[in-house]
Amino acid sequence: MQPAPASADPKRRAKFLIGGGAILLSLIALVAWALGRPNSTSFFYTPTEVVALAAAPGGDEYRVNGKVIPDSVARDGLTTTFQISDGKTAMELTTDRPLPDVFWTAMANDSSEVEVVARGRYDGEIFLASEVLAKCPSKFKAKAA
Amino acid sequence: MSLGGLGRPSLIAASALTTAGVLLSLWGALGRRSGPTEAGRRALTAGAAFVGLAGVALVSALFAHDFSLEYVTSYSSRALARGYTLAALWGGMEGSLLFWTVLLTLFSMIALRRAPAGDTSLRAWTAVVLGGIASFFLLILLFPANPFTTLAEVPADGNGLNPLLQSPGMLIHPPLLYTGFVAFSIPFAFGMAALLTKRLDEGWLKQTRRWSLFAWSALSIGIVLGGAWAYTELGWGGYWAWDPVENASFMPWLTATAYLHSVVIQEKRRMFKVWNLVLILLTYFLAIFGTFLTRSGILSSIHTFTEGPIGKWFLPFLALMLVGGLALIGARLDTLKSKNRFDSLLSRESAFLANNVLFLAAAFAVLWGTIYPIIAEAVTGVRLSVGPPFFNAVFIPIGLALIGLTGLGPLIAWRRMNTKAFFRMIRIPLVAGAAATIAAALAGVGSAGALLAFALCAFTTVAIVAEFVRGSRVHRRRARVGWPSAVARTLMRDRRRYGGYVVHLGVVLIVLGFAGSAGKVERSEHLAQGETMQIGRYTLRYEEFVRGETPEKQISQINISAARNGEVVETLEPQRNLHKVQRQFQSEVAIATGPVEDLYVVVTAVDPDGSASIHAFVNPLTWWIWAGAAVMALGMSVLLSEAGPRTATVGAPARVHRPLVATR
Repeated sequence: MQPAPASADPKRRAKFLIGGGAILLSLIALVAWALGRPNSTSFFYTPTEVVALAAAPGGDEYRVNGKVIPDSVARDGLTTTFQISDGKTAMELTTDRPLPDVFWTAMANDSSEVEVVARGRYDGEIFLASEVLAKCPSKFKAKAA
Repeated sequence: MSLGGLGRPSLIAASALTTAGVLLSLWGALGRRSGPTEAGRRALTAGAAFVGLAGVALVSALFAHDFSLEYVTSYSSRALARGYTLAALWGGMEGSLLFWTVLLTLFSMIALRRAPAGDTSLRAWTAVVLGGIASFFLLILLFPANPFTTLAEVPADGNGLNPLLQSPGMLIHPPLLYTGFVAFSIPFAFGMAALLTKRLDEGWLKQTRRWSLFAWSALSIGIVLGGAWAYTELGWGGYWAWDPVENASFMPWLTATAYLHSVVIQEKRRMFKVWNLVLILLTYFLAIFGTFLTRSGILSSIHTFTEGPIGKWFLPFLALMLVGGLALIGARLDTLKSKNRFDSLLSRESAFLANNVLFLAAAFAVLWGTIYPIIAEAVTGVRLSVGPPFFNAVFIPIGLALIGLTGLGPLIAWRRMNTKAFFRMIRIPLVAGAAATIAAALAGVGSAGALLAFALCAFTTVAIVAEFVRGSRVHRRRARVGWPSAVARTLMRDRRRYGGYVVHLGVVLIVLGFAGSAGKVERSEHLAQGETMQIGRYTLRYEEFVRGETPEKQISQINISAARNGEVVETLEPQRNLHKVQRQFQSEVAIATGPVEDLYVVVTAVDPDGSASIHAFVNPLTWWIWAGAAVMALGMSVLLSEAGPRTATVGAPARVHRPLVATR
């Protein structure tokens, strides 16, 4: 056990820096590669933006969020269709994936306040969602808050 | 009887006493005087008692259905089962912060009482840090998150607890996570006190070793139970979604795991001193940061049952902790110089270093994915979200490397090892890994990641078993006992080492369960009564529709039979219920579980004619995740059962560890 402070020896220090640099670079490379993979990240759009983007060729899926238009919700077997809006543009959305319980709960309670985030693609007329998440903001908050 | 009225006065008294305690301790610390230090500790103890009283007040108000309190109205109701009435304590933000503070002050008092009596300044500084943290949380409880806010108009009944939270897992999962987070306050405070007193030997590590282990164990089991809750309650067939809140508990776990390993190096070789302080600082920072992330509402998450205006209160606290902690470490860098150095690349020290690098890399990657949306929006104005594919892509390679290292590390000798001896050690585990790969490939596993995972799991399992065999052989020879008692002796005579191996074995089993998800199958179909659907090797048949009603809910149950090769092997009874008080739909999952695979069925919709949408999954090997967690818990209890450091030995030379089997 020879007492030798790490920084005193320039050779050791260089080794340390090269090793540390290599590790850091590989971590950055891993993170960059992972971020570039399909569906790793998805952009958030409003229905207005989605409809404007319609001409763009399909690539990755993206997310859209908006308020559900009450009375537009129809379910036939596995397929659920409804309209969402950002206040300016209304967009038709369809999915054959099960919707979360929160969605149906919110629709049954206060259908004018249901917000969804849907992931999927827009085919020019209808948004085909592969996942729909719902939020009902007021449900579990204290009445006085 | 409701003691709700005592709540706020108790919190005010607690706040005053804690602040006084901090000031007295600070006086004691700066003046190195035991009088004020002792008075400070007493004030903090009294403050802790009042925090406890506030906790009792809220619990009694919940059980007494005292709906004059807004919190009680928001999170409980008369119809709520008694057990879940207790769960309402952590069902909302205000209650969970109070619960956190109760735990914090309780743990602080235990730790301060046990701190070495001779070392006044270490005690005093520890009290300053712990009392400071408690003061911060009390401030939040007094102002932005007051659990004792009263309602002008007292309602007849409350809103009830979110049915999602009414699950046995929710009785244990949040308290364990909080226990884990809060218990890290103790090693954090001792570490900071060691920096402040310049007493930077291994003393603080040894005194807090059991606290760290305890915190880590609680956090680990808490996280697994969270996964089990998601799996059995949320009905999407999985257990981990890389949701920001899950990540918030996972990041401190990663750095804490790195810490638990690197303290071994400091204790054995007096290296990594700065590193250990950075790790405990990071762990505690991430624990608080997690609370901030989930409670501030800056990230959307399924867990944000409660969002509040407390985010901005956390920012200065977090900044003070990180900047102050790092500045303090920086100021002491000279005294923290390591006495030893690496002798060889092929050494136990290097293996531990690699472990630390991998854990930190994983923590960084998860952190990056979690906050990337915030950064991207702040920098470019683009709103985006980061999904599971990112996290899986970064985490799987790092996780696999860690599993390999789990098997490899213990086989490598301290300081240096010659390559020949090394290859002799890994020969048999390597053969096992290769055999497992071939067997899995023959069984039809196609995913390269899963094959690699099976290979590494087999490698590591055999390496661990071999360690036990080597240890037990010695006991068998010396004590002339049979294998079972030799294995038990091996485990109990060197609990730190072999208890650790048992934990490793549990982790390997959990990874086996993760790898199984590569073979997951999922299908949705809308069935009328009598119709069937295929999933994996099973034919599911909609047998019967059963309606029911309890005071709490309307029940729609779909009885489903699962047949394999024409023979019914399971009957499943998933439900889709309407909870009356909350007017909330809630699916109850049905799972036929086993070591080979789980058959997992959810009813996602029921039509008036009785036809139902069935969402079915086959999840191979998921069972092993829970089995692995049980093995981990066993290993943890072995580790924790080791006697703690005696106060008298502090300051004396480190106890020499003489294992029966050479640590090589």
